[in-house]
Amino acid sequence: MLVLIIAIISLILQFFLPWWIIAPIAFSLSFGMAKSGKQAFGSAFLAIFLLWVAMGLIQTLPNENILANRVGTMLSLPDSSFNWIIVLLLSGIIGGLASGFSGLSGFLFKEAVKKI
Amino acid sequence: MKIVKAVISVLFSLLLIYTLNNKFGDIPPLAKFLDPFSGFWANAENKVQASENNLIIEGLKEQVEIHFDDQMIPHIFAKNDHDLYFAQGYLTAKDRLWQMDFQTRFASGRLSEVVGPKAIELDRYQRRMGMSFGAENMIEIAMKDPETNVIMNAYAAGVNAYIHSLKPSQYPIEFKLLNYEPEDWKPINSALLLKLMSATLAGGSNEFYMNNILQKYGPEITKNLFPDYPFREDPIIPVGTKWDFDPINVPKMPSLNETTAALNINTKEKEEGIGSNNWAVSGKKTASGYPILANDPHLDLTLPSIWYQIQLASTDVNACGVSIPGSPGIVIGFNKDVAWGVTNVGADVLDWYNIKFKDSSKKEYWFNNKWLPVKKRIENIKISNGQTVTDTVFYTHHGPVVYTSEQRPDNFTKANNIPTGHALKWVAHMGSNDIRTFIALNKAKNYTDYRKALTYYNAPAQNFVFASFENDIAITPNGYFPLKWEGQGKFILDGTKPSHDWNGRIPAEHNPTVKNPTRNFVSSANQFPSDQSYPYYLNWEYSGYERSLRINKRLSVMTQANVDSLQNLQNDNYSILAENILSTLVELVDTKKLNASEREGFNIVSKWNKFFDANEIGASIFELWHKNLGIQIWQDDFGDPKTPMRYPSRDRNVQLLLNEPNAVWWDNVKTAKKETRGDLVNSSFKFAIDSLQRKFGPIDSDWAWANLKKTHVPHLAKVAGFGSKILYNGGSKTSVNATSESNGPSWRMIVALGKEVKAYGVFPGGESGNPGSHYYDDMIDTWSEGKLNELVYLKLKDEKSKRIISTWKLNKK
Repeated sequence: MLVLIIAIISLILQFFLPWWIIAPIAFSLSFGMAKSGKQAFGSAFLAIFLLWVAMGLIQTLPNENILANRVGTMLSLPDSSFNWIIVLLLSGIIGGLASGFSGLSGFLFKEAVKKI
Repeated sequence: MKIVKAVISVLFSLLLIYTLNNKFGDIPPLAKFLDPFSGFWANAENKVQASENNLIIEGLKEQVEIHFDDQMIPHIFAKNDHDLYFAQGYLTAKDRLWQMDFQTRFASGRLSEVVGPKAIELDRYQRRMGMSFGAENMIEIAMKDPETNVIMNAYAAGVNAYIHSLKPSQYPIEFKLLNYEPEDWKPINSALLLKLMSATLAGGSNEFYMNNILQKYGPEITKNLFPDYPFREDPIIPVGTKWDFDPINVPKMPSLNETTAALNINTKEKEEGIGSNNWAVSGKKTASGYPILANDPHLDLTLPSIWYQIQLASTDVNACGVSIPGSPGIVIGFNKDVAWGVTNVGADVLDWYNIKFKDSSKKEYWFNNKWLPVKKRIENIKISNGQTVTDTVFYTHHGPVVYTSEQRPDNFTKANNIPTGHALKWVAHMGSNDIRTFIALNKAKNYTDYRKALTYYNAPAQNFVFASFENDIAITPNGYFPLKWEGQGKFILDGTKPSHDWNGRIPAEHNPTVKNPTRNFVSSANQFPSDQSYPYYLNWEYSGYERSLRINKRLSVMTQANVDSLQNLQNDNYSILAENILSTLVELVDTKKLNASEREGFNIVSKWNKFFDANEIGASIFELWHKNLGIQIWQDDFGDPKTPMRYPSRDRNVQLLLNEPNAVWWDNVKTAKKETRGDLVNSSFKFAIDSLQRKFGPIDSDWAWANLKKTHVPHLAKVAGFGSKILYNGGSKTSVNATSESNGPSWRMIVALGKEVKAYGVFPGGESGNPGSHYYDDMIDTWSEGKLNELVYLKLKDEKSKRIISTWKLNKK
């Protein structure tokens, strides 16, 4: 559930706002909904990982992946016509980590506030 | 405890996000760059283009219609000149915005603003060379011309209309990589790009080397090894052409002891390989009875491509060809009546003057027995980290003193090339209205219009070739040529003496030119503009004559010429150099002393057909052989790193090899033994075989010329992955097809005039500057194979063509 909500809200807001908007989204939703640190990190990570991979696919497939493969070479990957998949996963992981740690922070922050 | 954990987690997350949102060194802001919404993924263009597009754009006076052909080349139809150049600016920006931005920054010394402190010395260099100073002077003159003024402003407005329409997610990918934003375009940027062409084509000099040589060897040997006219030549203006003007007085050469003392300095040699071919064949020699014109300018190849192909049509113009991204009009192209093209003229338009300052404050300098005031120009170089570096450049009436001893950086290659304490006099610093030449050529209808158009042109000097429907052909080495005494500027000049100053210019109408010569063709390949009968001094050395001779030989015997035969000539890989020296080299090899693989290599190169074709092994051997021979001849005499000098020309090498077997130069002065011509030829041959063997193993098809040459087209900022693959093709610096590692024909064009003009062309890249576009490098294989595309030329806005895949309407607001 948390995964879906983070993904949908991020999807909508990312059309207007810079990428880092995913951080406050993950933070606040995990603050409100997460049951554990693991769940907060996991859901926030997965939400953005999936969103970015899906969005990346929408961009790269009609392009026949030529740009993503070039970026693969730029990132020093060995020459291959499948580099785009690695670049895509890398994008998902980077976005996922930023979101995951924000989600975790949201949950931990809630725990800290609850105690007081 | 929980609070501590929460605080640590929040701080860590903030740090992570900050890190992923910022550029560190050369690492782009990772998450910002990889974000599929606004990062690089958004630059991945759909292979299929929308067939229609309607836009409303502020600044247009009327509607503009644009047809894109199957290579996404725009064909612009406007109802007035303002809208035409506005649309040219808009569309060029659509495809090439980052290239335009980056090249202007490079030219004006503003790269540090976007790439950081590592570019400071480069920025200082560009500013100290007076690039902006030249552009400012140019724009001051150009903007006084009402027609140029409208065009430059409209072009800039079009570029800006495009920039303002962009969201950050739509910025070209390089802006995202380097993490900066495009800024507004100004007319001076167009001027800067033309100055950049001057720097590329007419920015090299040899004076310092030559001075050192003069000092070491004296005038006689210097004159012998570096003659003022080559051993073999085939000039642009056919030998025997009469000059139809009375020459004005040429200043007298001051006595030689007035030249300045030798200097211990290092400099960049004039680059070989920056050259081009063009020719026009009269209707008397063509199958159609109408002239055919061909042009292929050779430059350092880059992606995004150097040229931007375009058709420009409004009420009084309908021209097609290639433009410089960032500058209005078409530089090389055609319309229904005429075609024109350019190659570089290697005239000496850059000189160095020794400056005597009064004292270390450098407020005054000595000239004509007086102290004259020095002008200071303060350059503020902004850096991406927010700092500003201030630099002072001292200007004399000659030009800027590029480096004083205090200002000279220690470890900067380009600065090593500049003589300390010398002022730079350079035609590129002058104000001019060169853009008007191209605008006028775009509209030209006949020979008279062509001649008129050339009068606006200053720099970089070009051989303007011309052909018309009226069956005129012509060629004119054209530009601002300073009026010099014979040999002025071959060595460093004395900045204190008025007799060393430039004496105005050669009258433009006295520039060499020829119309409809009896041989029924005109051509140029960067060689001497004319034989020694020309009454003015232009320079003492030009590119080697090999390409010219081959072109002229083939054109002389050509009858019933058509596009195919001229295309074949553009792709000619034959080497006149090999023709001149290979048999002599082969004769001198002592075959008894060869080992097995040397013998095999010897057999191959002796039987080689002298074509630098892709799969020729003989070409690989010959190239390494004659290059190494040149080094072996001269390195001991001219290779002292403390007194940098240059080697004599290729032409002089040929003369030495063929006619001077006993010259002192064959001996290596660094050995006790007395080497002979045969010794050097043999050891350089063995060197060639040995290096190929180490590189490719035993002799087989791996030794093919294409594998040694490795032609490829790198990205403008050398971003890995954004350049081309290694191409398998032929060509050499001494062939008409002058394709080398990453230098070569940046555009090949052939125009067949007639009732229905037909044109063909290709450049090594594509129309789009976006590495994420299918049109980024879609022409590169066609180019590499030596093929041409038929160019779409629409006579009317509504003309139907099967090759139009998309139509845009730009509507006024």
